[in-house]
Amino acid sequence: MDDHKSIYFKNAIWLAILTILEVGIAYIDISRSGQIVLLLAFAATKMMLVAMIYMHLRYETRVLKWILFVPIPAGILFTVALMYDLPFRWVV
Amino acid sequence: MNQNQTYAIPMNDPFGKATTGKLGMWLFIIVDGLSFAGLLIAGAALRAGGAEWPQAGEILSIPLTAFNTFLLICTSFTMVMALNTIQKGDQAGLKKFLGLTMAGGLGFLGIQIWEYYHFIMEGFVISTSVYASVFYVTTCFHGLHVTTGVIYIACILWAAVQGRYSADNWDHVEILGLFWHFVDLVWILVFTIIYLI
Repeated sequence: MDDHKSIYFKNAIWLAILTILEVGIAYIDISRSGQIVLLLAFAATKMMLVAMIYMHLRYETRVLKWILFVPIPAGILFTVALMYDLPFRWVV
Repeated sequence: MNQNQTYAIPMNDPFGKATTGKLGMWLFIIVDGLSFAGLLIAGAALRAGGAEWPQAGEILSIPLTAFNTFLLICTSFTMVMALNTIQKGDQAGLKKFLGLTMAGGLGFLGIQIWEYYHFIMEGFVISTSVYASVFYVTTCFHGLHVTTGVIYIACILWAAVQGRYSADNWDHVEILGLFWHFVDLVWILVFTIIYLI
């Protein structure tokens, strides 16, 4: 097995392991906020693994990486802002 | 035109060796990613706004969808292997891995349709609740992407059968791969937010 093939295969194994762990977290009895943080952290890790290894983002230039990653904090900011706005949605 | 003929692809300096087609796909991915973000954020806002929301696994089947997630991960592996093999000039390998990816995509869709069928038979339809509408709209939108991906793979596989790709000409396979991996990447988030949280 050449180097790339081995990395791709190991990545698939890691993604499968993380999926199993995610399912486990959904069933275990821990605090709701802890569960959400863990699940989102696992999902973010899996997404990074797909983007960096399968989509070869790690070989792309810094400019392209910036273009791709800048919308993420913007999306998080908008989500947080929206959540703060929810209690006032019926206030005119 | 000779189908094995290679052609010059314009290069974009700030983006290294990325071709115009590849940059176009990356831009599409950003825009499409924002569409998914819009749906997921809307779902989160509805939930936070007080809509009735069942516990994880109460309505949706987690083990079945976890298997479907695993299937999609496997197709990401076969898709990257398709690119890896054609970069070495192995046309038979390209056809084999594209075929496997397509089969995996069809399997994913089959399981999703089976899941919908059972929900509909049990009366869990899009108008049942806010939760049901968030579930159906988000997963249907993703399913539409998988369907598009399968058709896209079929087109590239057809070109591969005709011997269009080689060790010097695999740009279309790489662009297809970007789309397919994006479909997998988005499902990771949809699975976590819709099924597990």
